[in-house]
Amino acid sequence: MRDEHIKEMLDGAPLDNLSESELTAVRSHAEGCEACGRAFDAARVSSLLLKERAAETFEPSPFFQTRVLAALRERQSGVEAWSLGRLWRAAGVLFSTMAATVAALAVLTFVVPQPAATQQEVASAGRAYTAEDVILEQAEQPDEQMSYGQVLTTLYDTDEDAGR
Amino acid sequence: MRLARAGDESAFAEMVRRYSPRVFRVAARFFRRREQVEEVAQEVFLKAFTQLEGFEGRGSLEGWLARIAANTCLNMLRSARRRPELTASDLTEDEAAWLDDKLAGVAGERHRSAERAVVAADLTDRVFETMSPEDRMVLMLIDGEEASVKDVAELTGWSESNVKVRAFRARRRMREAVERLLARGERNERERFKSAGER
Repeated sequence: MRDEHIKEMLDGAPLDNLSESELTAVRSHAEGCEACGRAFDAARVSSLLLKERAAETFEPSPFFQTRVLAALRERQSGVEAWSLGRLWRAAGVLFSTMAATVAALAVLTFVVPQPAATQQEVASAGRAYTAEDVILEQAEQPDEQMSYGQVLTTLYDTDEDAGR
Repeated sequence: MRLARAGDESAFAEMVRRYSPRVFRVAARFFRRREQVEEVAQEVFLKAFTQLEGFEGRGSLEGWLARIAANTCLNMLRSARRRPELTASDLTEDEAAWLDDKLAGVAGERHRSAERAVVAADLTDRVFETMSPEDRMVLMLIDGEEASVKDVAELTGWSESNVKVRAFRARRRMREAVERLLARGERNERERFKSAGER
């Protein structure tokens, strides 16, 4: 039997699962082979260690159920508090934004001085125009229309130029 | 189950009472301190409560909880740092004596005492610290608890062939770690004898 074959047998299954014939083969080989003897010893010790470790058990304490329920309630109330906190924070942001906007509008309206042109526009926009005002305004403006004579002169000059 | 899923606290409490021994058994394969085991078990039930709607009822509820327990433990162990290797000089006197006894075949079932069992379990944990959480789990279940490959596959969600391969490799790693430990122990022992003789 080869060394690797022995080691594969030892690693292939728990030691307890090896058949009597397999164990005999391993033992007889291990007697004459130092490396396999060490591997067999280590496999035996590993198996014992795992058995000892698996023998350790814990039973739930009588208070375990209560503890889990308390933790569940705590976690749920934590989630609710967290949601309320988020809502509160969101409301706070909204409120402060609104307050800032109102304050900015107030400052723009009452504190910042308006430009003069704008004031005139506002004043003229506020004035009510009547038909008389419009006619008087037009009358005040200089008449830029051509006189009858100027029109005729312009017309004849243009015809003479064309005849030439 | 239906009531627990609907958020009924008393139904959930009954679920905890009925299945906590199984969850504790799984957690105890990974952790040795009672507080740790209880903490893991509590986390498992809290997770289960939030994930109950996702339980499709294909397998048993107990199996589903055991799977959550195994995954929770694996995740907790993955975050812990692994030791590169355990050396004979790291062993306590009790651990070294235990190994010597086992090798000499002196300590059989007749000599088994609670104290020695603790020493053995301590030693196992120290060897385990050099291995991956998956290797530890598969060894504890198959070699320690004599669980079948099929059971481990169901618990972990791995295929049966994957479980076999992992068990083979894990067994080899543990055997080699123990072999190194024994070889160094023997060497130390020889050196002690030699220096005592020279004196």
